[in-house]
Amino acid sequence: MSEEIEAKLIPIFILSRMHMVPEGSTIITAMEYAGFKLKKGVGCREGFCGACASLYRLEGDFKLHGSLGCQTVVQPNMQIVQIPYTPSPKAIYDLETLNAEQEVFTNTYPELYRCLACNTCAKICPQEILVMDYVQAGIKGNLALMADLSFDCIMCGLCTTRCPAEITQFNAALLARRLYGKYLNKKGRFLEYRIKQILEGKFEEGYQELMNLPKEALTKRYFDRELNFNIT
Amino acid sequence: MKRIPYYPGCSLQTKAKHFETSAMAVAEALDYELVTLPRWNCCGAVHSLTTDDLMHHVAPVTTLLRSKEFSAENHLDDSRLVVLCAMCLNVLKRTNKRVQELLEDRTKINDFMYLENSKYDGSTIVIHFLELLREIGWETLSQKVKHPLSNLAVSPYYGCLLLRPKEVGIDNPEAPTIQEDLLKSLDAKVIENPLKNRCCGSYHTLVDKDVVAELGYDILINAQKAGAEIITTSCPLCAFNLDQRQENILKKHPDFTKIPVVYFTELMMIAFDLPLEKAGLDMHYVDPRPLLLKKEMLHE
Amino acid sequence: MAYPDYMRESIELVRQSRLKRIEIDKIGIQNVMTPLTEEGRKKVLSENHPDYTPDARKQIRIGPNAGEWLTTKVVEILESHSRLPKNFNLDQPDYETDVLVIGGGGAGCQAAIWARLHDAKVIISTKLRIGDANSMMSQGGMQAAVNPNDSPLIHYLDALGGGHFDNKPGLLKILTQEAPKAVKHLEDLGVIWDRIADGNLQTKTGGGTSRRRMLSSRDYTGAEIMRVLRDEVRNHPEDITVLEYFPAIELVKDQEGKVAGAILFHMETGEYAVVKAKTVIITTGGFGRLHIKDFPTTNHYGATMDGLVMAYRAGAKLLHMDSVQFHPTGAVYPAQILGFLITEKIRGFGGQPVNKYGELFVFPLEPRDVEASDYIQECRAGKGITTPDGHVGIWLDSPIIDLIHGSGTIEKNFPAMLRQYKRFDIDIRVDPMLVYPTLHYQNGGIEINEDTSTSIPGLFAAGECTGGVHGRNRLMGNSVLDYNVFGRISGIAAAKKAKETTISGKLHTDHIQQYEKEIQSAKIETTLKTPILLPEYRNLKNVSKHLDEYDPFLPAGL
Repeated sequence: MSEEIEAKLIPIFILSRMHMVPEGSTIITAMEYAGFKLKKGVGCREGFCGACASLYRLEGDFKLHGSLGCQTVVQPNMQIVQIPYTPSPKAIYDLETLNAEQEVFTNTYPELYRCLACNTCAKICPQEILVMDYVQAGIKGNLALMADLSFDCIMCGLCTTRCPAEITQFNAALLARRLYGKYLNKKGRFLEYRIKQILEGKFEEGYQELMNLPKEALTKRYFDRELNFNIT
Repeated sequence: MKRIPYYPGCSLQTKAKHFETSAMAVAEALDYELVTLPRWNCCGAVHSLTTDDLMHHVAPVTTLLRSKEFSAENHLDDSRLVVLCAMCLNVLKRTNKRVQELLEDRTKINDFMYLENSKYDGSTIVIHFLELLREIGWETLSQKVKHPLSNLAVSPYYGCLLLRPKEVGIDNPEAPTIQEDLLKSLDAKVIENPLKNRCCGSYHTLVDKDVVAELGYDILINAQKAGAEIITTSCPLCAFNLDQRQENILKKHPDFTKIPVVYFTELMMIAFDLPLEKAGLDMHYVDPRPLLLKKEMLHE
Repeated sequence: MAYPDYMRESIELVRQSRLKRIEIDKIGIQNVMTPLTEEGRKKVLSENHPDYTPDARKQIRIGPNAGEWLTTKVVEILESHSRLPKNFNLDQPDYETDVLVIGGGGAGCQAAIWARLHDAKVIISTKLRIGDANSMMSQGGMQAAVNPNDSPLIHYLDALGGGHFDNKPGLLKILTQEAPKAVKHLEDLGVIWDRIADGNLQTKTGGGTSRRRMLSSRDYTGAEIMRVLRDEVRNHPEDITVLEYFPAIELVKDQEGKVAGAILFHMETGEYAVVKAKTVIITTGGFGRLHIKDFPTTNHYGATMDGLVMAYRAGAKLLHMDSVQFHPTGAVYPAQILGFLITEKIRGFGGQPVNKYGELFVFPLEPRDVEASDYIQECRAGKGITTPDGHVGIWLDSPIIDLIHGSGTIEKNFPAMLRQYKRFDIDIRVDPMLVYPTLHYQNGGIEINEDTSTSIPGLFAAGECTGGVHGRNRLMGNSVLDYNVFGRISGIAAAKKAKETTISGKLHTDHIQQYEKEIQSAKIETTLKTPILLPEYRNLKNVSKHLDEYDPFLPAGL
């Protein structure tokens, strides 16, 4: 991306070496300015994929901050390292045979019950998710709450790097969300009905007509079509 | 209706769900609403006796702090925290005492919990539901009784954590009477069991069922010898060990006859003649309903 | 990084006109600001759309589409050398499998899941981590005709008109008719769709749709689907092998000329590996990171058109590679999020585009190319707002959403967007967003048949890397649908084909030598080696002094 403006340069430390980078850069763009060809620890660059999990510390601040490199603006004398990947156990399961109940974690992620409720996970989460709260919801068997609280999780893995109980929070949350989506989320009937219509070939004739219409007639039909934004 | 914060703990929303629902129903009959904390976590499960590992105290302190904030923000009538599980009560009260007395520990834990909205000052008062009932008054309770338990021989069981250590106990650790007083107000025939304070085996139940079965056998057989027909408890773990482990007792002692073990709140519901859907009488290993039917305390 | 004072004056005008504009919403915005007619669309497109500028297209000199006019940047990338070392030895394959899936995004994962269900062993090769893809980033939703007043036929007509009637009818029929089934399949895998109180699916409008057809999962729709698909892939390690940071760089063929695998290149170690496969599916996505006409992009870091390059070199025909989709609403301010996608769902919920005087100037839900051209036109007319670093944009009024639907609507439906701007001290519940069109989607691609097979045997393709489904302009919510529908079809087709395929004789890369000869005879002078794998964003002044000449990531044409 071409940034033609003369930006003020500030010092930051990447892998312990000082680099002067433009003020206002994100961690990712600052690293690129400093000459890093990013081959890992970078992804969508818009805060959705969780590939650019980073740890940093600020001058005069004891806290170890977790962030997404593409979303975090650098500050003077920041010390930065990226955590592109955290080895994390992933349970193997067949969603068809699991039940959406509390015991589901005893066979998949039993370490969930090791939670000390210390809340360290929430401190590091770049999405400001109440991680410990959703782990606790899982322990209590409240999968709906676990799914809701963890919804914005981008699975960057920072929570699991910091967890003193060594839980893989984000994988357990994904299982909770899948069970919620499959079994607990209340379903309406119309989708099944529409699929039945399709399987019965209800639209076949209409398709044949549209597909054989000359372009002119098709164009007219398109621009004349009704806009109807009601649901019924 | 007086509103008071309530902390469930993990068992109360899973295995011991009926303890919670029956307690809430009883409280409502006595004009109290137990308001569940919107954010709560595990109490810590076992009180840590270490002097330097403060990490295990973070969970209970978080709970105490959130209760304090919740009751203040929502202007609850009573700011004390009600607990049903004896284990939770014990952990919360002992931790509370520690952070009240040891300023250094309190500061360290508060510093660690920097994500919270405020600092914990040790001011949350934790009480067991039985204590709340005692405050309401045995006389008031007996006035609510529509269905006296007069011909039911009930033996209360306490276990350890409601009573010991005495600094956090809710009654005399050697000779408690709080459950007896309650049962008397329901007009039940109270049976004294000399082993009512004996340990139920606690978490040994996970690793060595036989240890728990042996302890349970002694406790139950003594109650039966004294004439008990049914046992009451106030702790989900004690309830599990005394009820569910009767299966293991029977394997070792074929002469043993099963005896129902229920929460005191279930009997209160019967005495108050409340709708029994929430009593959870069907959630026991030893079904109490045949006995209660025989005693004409249930309708078919 | 909140808005500077000089923008505040304009924001105040937007605020003042808001009440009047709520009234417009109540009447039905299509009744006040009517959608453009056929002639109106043509005019605004030809005068403003970047595809219509004189230097937008260039004639390609080599390969299956030789003589056709394609997007200039695409031609530059295609008319290039292979990055494969000379005399590369293919005698000892490092991996063997039934189906090789190149690309680990939504289409790739669907392909792998369904190929496995049809008894194939699968390898997924991906450049970054599995799931690190544009699929993860779509916020707004997926189209499917799931309302009683809608039907797959209306969906078909909407998409056809939006695509300027260039869509391949057979593909479009499959897309629209399979849509409800795709919704159900994702539901069965545990995707949490937004629903209304009775449990039926929540639907919103999108640009160019004549019904409410946009399904969503808050504004994490793509992320929700992608993380579920990825999890499902990982549930079958015995059948699906995932090779991360290990992208394919060229296809290989057998003695009958069938595509029979690929050569991979490891991003960290620099090693090559040969995969021998009975069939190959390309699911590598599009070209957003090529920054066509220097536009910023909404796209993932890895969207560099790699699969298209490999397929073209192997002889696969391309379709509609002369058209580029610019998303109307890319962020312009603050500079850190330049080009970021502002979901179309904002307009689906009633958000309105207004100029610097706070005036609504366009029907907010035109097809994307028309809507984008309108914004460009408004800015050219001097009615945009210029940022401190010289970019220009118009306002997308988001606060109006909470006024229309009640407070809390934005927080509930746009948590990602709210968080995104909050990081820069802007509250989109209070202030509008400054937007301008941004490079978003590769409308065309590898030409596919209805079973996703390509013009060369053994090669299948699905998702954004393909052409024909969307014509020359894709509608919102049809790409998520595309990769789910055609990802599935490709997995099944490639697995079935693999069963009846035997690889004949030695593997070879004669097509690469052949392509090189074409470059020579067309007298094309280039030092570029492709696929480029990752875009170049380094400030090379900082590193060029002693740069290792063997660095495989320094693009030769730089």
